[in-house]
Amino acid sequence: MYPATAEMSMSMMTKISDTAVSPTGGLCSRELCRFLSRYGAWLLGSGATCIRLEKNMKRIADAYGKEVELTVMPRHIHVTVYEPGRNDMTTAISSVQATAISFNINTMLSRLSWEVADRKISFAEAERQFEQIITSDTQNRWLVLLLVTLANASFCRLFGGDAVAMAIVAIATAAGYYLKQLLLGRGADVRVVFLVCSFVSSILGATDSLFSIGATPEIAIGTSVLYLVPGIPFLNSFSDMLYRHYICAYSRFADAVVLTACLSTGLCAGMSLMHVGMF
Amino acid sequence: MILQILQDALFAAIAAIGFAAISRPPRRAYLYCAIIAAVGHSTRFIMMHEQFFSMNIVLATFLASFFVGSLAVFLSPVARTPAETCLFPALLPMIPGIYAYKSFGGLAMCIFGNDESSFSHYFYLFAQNGLTCLFILLGMVIGATIPIFIFKKVSFQATR
Repeated sequence: MYPATAEMSMSMMTKISDTAVSPTGGLCSRELCRFLSRYGAWLLGSGATCIRLEKNMKRIADAYGKEVELTVMPRHIHVTVYEPGRNDMTTAISSVQATAISFNINTMLSRLSWEVADRKISFAEAERQFEQIITSDTQNRWLVLLLVTLANASFCRLFGGDAVAMAIVAIATAAGYYLKQLLLGRGADVRVVFLVCSFVSSILGATDSLFSIGATPEIAIGTSVLYLVPGIPFLNSFSDMLYRHYICAYSRFADAVVLTACLSTGLCAGMSLMHVGMF
Repeated sequence: MILQILQDALFAAIAAIGFAAISRPPRRAYLYCAIIAAVGHSTRFIMMHEQFFSMNIVLATFLASFFVGSLAVFLSPVARTPAETCLFPALLPMIPGIYAYKSFGGLAMCIFGNDESSFSHYFYLFAQNGLTCLFILLGMVIGATIPIFIFKKVSFQATR
């Protein structure tokens, strides 16, 4: 999830078999391997857990009468496809797609795997649907901005903030999240973005204590940055850990901790600038 | 009291929709996220409230997650999404964000503190908040994953 801009994932194919078409007349392992490596790169990049990745890829391979073995590394996937009872094997290594977390892509790609398994759609059709899924994921950024603003304001309420605190948190969140969209859109490093956004949001969130207008100023500043907490990476990390994908779990956890550290640094800087004590 | 619980559920639902929007769920998943989050957060609220069970936050989060995990497993075939598409965004309001950054704040203050007692105090803040945060996350994921594991058939075939 690091760089926000999408870049093409690179696949490196190791050619072992020279046959373009499988002798059994079906799909050749190389084609399927190339497809699966891109499929995996997008699925993992859009924030799927390792267990889902394994299940979906095995399901697709099964449907085409192949076996697949894969190694999931934090930033790369190795895919080996072979046909049971034959010596031909194809391996592809692909970089995990650097894209924003998208449960929409995750859902559509999971559904595609069932389309292949249950409806027996052709390989060409599967490829066509795949291309469509990865290019059709659009979102109205203003709507997201509005929803995030409302969400963080109601979060403030959950922690016991009053109406003034909610309003201040809403302003702080709207400004911070708008800045986040703007900076990520320009290709800024996500860690810098977190630092800057939490700094801006915490300064705006400190309005309450600066002018003493509400009864719960400490809640206002405390919740003003919570929209930045990387919740999904934390959840994915622990999910991978439960399924014994320790390397991915550790990597996702480290990513999330680094982002949380950036967030805290921005918050602490904002608070000390405004002379608001947290402890 | 009932009003308080309903209010908790309502705000948790709004929070879940907004935080879910960041991770781009399919449009039809929003409704289910909101329902699951409302049930989950208010369950935790009830369990932690001193009038009811006054339970520890880690245990309460674990039980609430288990509850909503089961709910999500059976709602996800209706929503035609993988279980985690409805479930993970719905868990976001329970993510211990404040503990997480307080822990880092404590760590930073450890370095700036200049005598032993202030160091101990800040180290205590670091460790206490950090451990609470870790155990809440662990409890949350284990609680939410057990139902997916038990009802494997349902949860991995939801998009079928």
